[in-house]
Amino acid sequence: MNLSDSAPHTLMHLVRDNARTVPGDIAFREKVRGIWRNLTWAELERMVETCAAGLHGLGMRPGRAVLILGDNNVRLYAALLATGYMRGYAMPAFPDAGSEELAHIVGDHDLCAVIVSDQEQADKAIELRRRGLQTGVIVYDDDRGLKDYAEDRMQSWDKLLRDGAAALAEQPDLPEQWLAALGEDDPAVLVHSSGTTGKPKSILLSHRNVLSVGRACIEADVLEPGCELVAYLPMGWIGDIQLSIVNAFLGRCTVNVPESQETVMHDVREVAPSFYLATPRSWENLLTAIQVAMEDATPLKKRVYRFFVDRSVERERRLNRGQSGGLGGGMIRWLGDRLVFGPIKDKYGLSRVTHAWTGGEAIGEETFLFYRAMGLRLRQLYGQSELSAFATVQAAGATKIHTVGRPINGVELRISDSGEVLVRSPGVFAGYLNRPDATAEALRDGWLHTGDAGRIEDGELVIEGRFSEMVSTAGGQRYVPTAIENRLKFSPYIKDAAVFGAGRDELVALVCIDFGAVGHWAQINGVSYTSYADLAQKPKVYDLIERAVRDLNASQPDGLKIRRFACLYKQFDPDDGEITRTRKLRRTAVQEMYEPVIEALHDAQPEVLTQARVTYETGATGSIERRLELREI
Amino acid sequence: MFYRLSGVRHFSYTGDRSLYRIPFERNAALALLAAAILAPWIIGELTLTSLVQPWLIWTSAALGLNLVVGWAGQLHLGYAAVMGVGAYAGTHAARSGVPWEIAIVLAGFASMVIGSVFSIAALRVKGLYLALTTLAMQFVIDWSIVHLSVVSGGALASLRAPDMSLLGFEINGTAGLYYVALAWCVLVTIFMMNLRRSALGRALMAVREKDYAAEIIGVRSFVFKLVAFAASSFIAGVSGAVLIATYYHIVTPDQFSTQVSIQVLAMVIVGGLGSIIGTYLGTALILIMPGLVAALFHGATELFDLRIGVETLAHLPNAAYGALIMGCLLWEPLGLGRLYHNMRSYLIAWPFGYLKK
Repeated sequence: MNLSDSAPHTLMHLVRDNARTVPGDIAFREKVRGIWRNLTWAELERMVETCAAGLHGLGMRPGRAVLILGDNNVRLYAALLATGYMRGYAMPAFPDAGSEELAHIVGDHDLCAVIVSDQEQADKAIELRRRGLQTGVIVYDDDRGLKDYAEDRMQSWDKLLRDGAAALAEQPDLPEQWLAALGEDDPAVLVHSSGTTGKPKSILLSHRNVLSVGRACIEADVLEPGCELVAYLPMGWIGDIQLSIVNAFLGRCTVNVPESQETVMHDVREVAPSFYLATPRSWENLLTAIQVAMEDATPLKKRVYRFFVDRSVERERRLNRGQSGGLGGGMIRWLGDRLVFGPIKDKYGLSRVTHAWTGGEAIGEETFLFYRAMGLRLRQLYGQSELSAFATVQAAGATKIHTVGRPINGVELRISDSGEVLVRSPGVFAGYLNRPDATAEALRDGWLHTGDAGRIEDGELVIEGRFSEMVSTAGGQRYVPTAIENRLKFSPYIKDAAVFGAGRDELVALVCIDFGAVGHWAQINGVSYTSYADLAQKPKVYDLIERAVRDLNASQPDGLKIRRFACLYKQFDPDDGEITRTRKLRRTAVQEMYEPVIEALHDAQPEVLTQARVTYETGATGSIERRLELREI
Repeated sequence: MFYRLSGVRHFSYTGDRSLYRIPFERNAALALLAAAILAPWIIGELTLTSLVQPWLIWTSAALGLNLVVGWAGQLHLGYAAVMGVGAYAGTHAARSGVPWEIAIVLAGFASMVIGSVFSIAALRVKGLYLALTTLAMQFVIDWSIVHLSVVSGGALASLRAPDMSLLGFEINGTAGLYYVALAWCVLVTIFMMNLRRSALGRALMAVREKDYAAEIIGVRSFVFKLVAFAASSFIAGVSGAVLIATYYHIVTPDQFSTQVSIQVLAMVIVGGLGSIIGTYLGTALILIMPGLVAALFHGATELFDLRIGVETLAHLPNAAYGALIMGCLLWEPLGLGRLYHNMRSYLIAWPFGYLKK
């Protein structure tokens, strides 16, 4: 325990430690009006101390809170650290949160100050005040557009630092006093649950929580000490705090802050970070952007691109199955990197990425293999705010796409009898603030109930979906339909899918083909068709969809393979009530509507005659009678 | 493909405005410079003195003309005459005992003064009228040089330039003279490259696009045209003096005739208006191609044993060479520099078709 005794036990001790050991190294780089400004560890320490003294002057005392509102920037990070330093609650919020949501977050906290980045956020803070909430002093960073505001108790960041510096000049021993009083169980940060169900809950994380997970992340090679990373994910998300503050400080990395949300792409290219984390959606969007750009290229370029991408993806697929990549494949991969992948990665600032991450939801195999083929060893991680961001990460060599990796050091993982993922670790929070009921529900005997359904496969965690959505087959095998459907939808040919099988022996699926993609495919492959319904019933289209289902089944446990499916004659439509306006499946409605088809699928009939009600855009209804082929796998 | 930009960032505005934003281009330029410095050891003496050295000198001169034609947009048909002024001024100064380093600068100033005086008059007209006025300047200066025996030493006389020495060091070897030419060429190139990001350069470009529009936004177009002529004349004068001191060693009036003016203009136009790398390529094409084409024809006649008259044989390469220039300009009207630029854009966007701004 000697090591941990001497190791910094709070974020501020960590800042102090870095500022003493490597004072001249760059802690933050921030792009301001087109050029990068450096902030060394010594300057950061000074900034946090001055900010703390300034906040002290505004009445900051242990137990009071500071709301931090805005796009990532160095001053907001410093304010967050300063609040934790003063043993207060630093509450970073999502910059796009509306005032309604903010009012919930602020709730009855004893706010000493609101630190805002610019006019947009200042307006929200003022609105909170108009609602009668206690906001304390509003401190703004960028004064653009704020000159004519005649708001009381509102001041600039510069004034905060000036006052702080004056206070420090008078009482130079303040920082030491504060540091001496600061312990590892004091609050480091107060984040909020997403609040999709009910009021957002305040998750209190102590210095011990975040630092233990941070150290475990570095041991698990989440990022390399001394690397460069870009802080572009919202500060309200615990992941950003864990990476841009805790991990970066522990690893003495340089955190680069982009000029604005609009310039992130450009700024990432300028930084060329070695660590890059993005949601599966972002990685998929980037892939689409690359594909679209290639569509506009000349035939020669297209051919070169296809040549290398096809072969490299194929090679990755073989490697993924544990087969050899082959010498020829390796050479093509090497050449492809020089000719195609290198230039593409360069355009998006990914050329130096050694640690590429994704998490939050499942990622499509095509996307995953594409980036692997490009030389980006994309890995997945899993975690929650309640356990200080991360619990499991994939190892560098792992290529299992449907897992989220092994627990990091200090994390104990267990699957409850009902299939819920339980976690016990030093990173797990002490409880929701002022919500003993919710705390009791989430924390039982020191185990955090994550609310995610999952299983453990060869020591690696597989997340199956939200626990509340979980159902089980007649054989007792539990599954989350949404998770399977989402993975079906990784196929570009499948627009929507509905998986049924609760209380049944097998799983069956209703599939809506993607008219655009399948239509294009039909054109190229000489399949003639007249309408969506006609196209959906073509045997060749069934073959196409069958391949996608087989791909899915390959990674499904035995009882949870999809046995039969049918392609529907129409797409799910919000007007017909099959999906919501945000394209979420309304399972019960679909089940009622397609009852005969689902029954026929379970009964293993070869085809079914069905009649369905259709609501036209005029509001009139009609019905269509269709014969649907049912395909068994 | 080679042009990689990720990881290139700047910590000051000076850095942000650096000449080469793409590391590959900077490295390529440095490699070329290194190759130029090592050239005396790499290539044969004959090639060095008969091809590379004149190429560098004429490129410096053509860059000066490009300043007026390409940047400021003013047609200039009397450029060789301005070079001649510098050549004679430098030679006379050196012959009268002035050290070469000062003589060369004097040559530049002499050209600048005469060029500016002429342009004050010439710039009162525009376009084709200006072209004709500059042509008149060519004739006036030619006539003056030939008929003022103080200058030329007589109509058919040629003046020997004293041996080159700089800062007290005798420069007589091939390599030494080559380095003088190289140094001047590099100096002019750096000046021209910096022009693009200087107020002067931007003002010149504004004048080129539309002189009265430039006037409206506060760019005094007459003054900037004058500055362009003066700067270009200075470069012409020094280039003329360097040409004599390091290459011709003898100065005669016909070295700077109307034909030479046209030739330098051709270098600029074939290379590309306002393009530096284009000027290098254009000069190479105009200087080296005639020799190559002639050699080709001679080789062909010998190989196929063609019986072509001496007269025809002398003219055929010229015709072919003319066709080559026309072909070049038909293929890419914006010059060889544009071809390079297209290739660069292609490689920057590779493998995409274009870049999103």
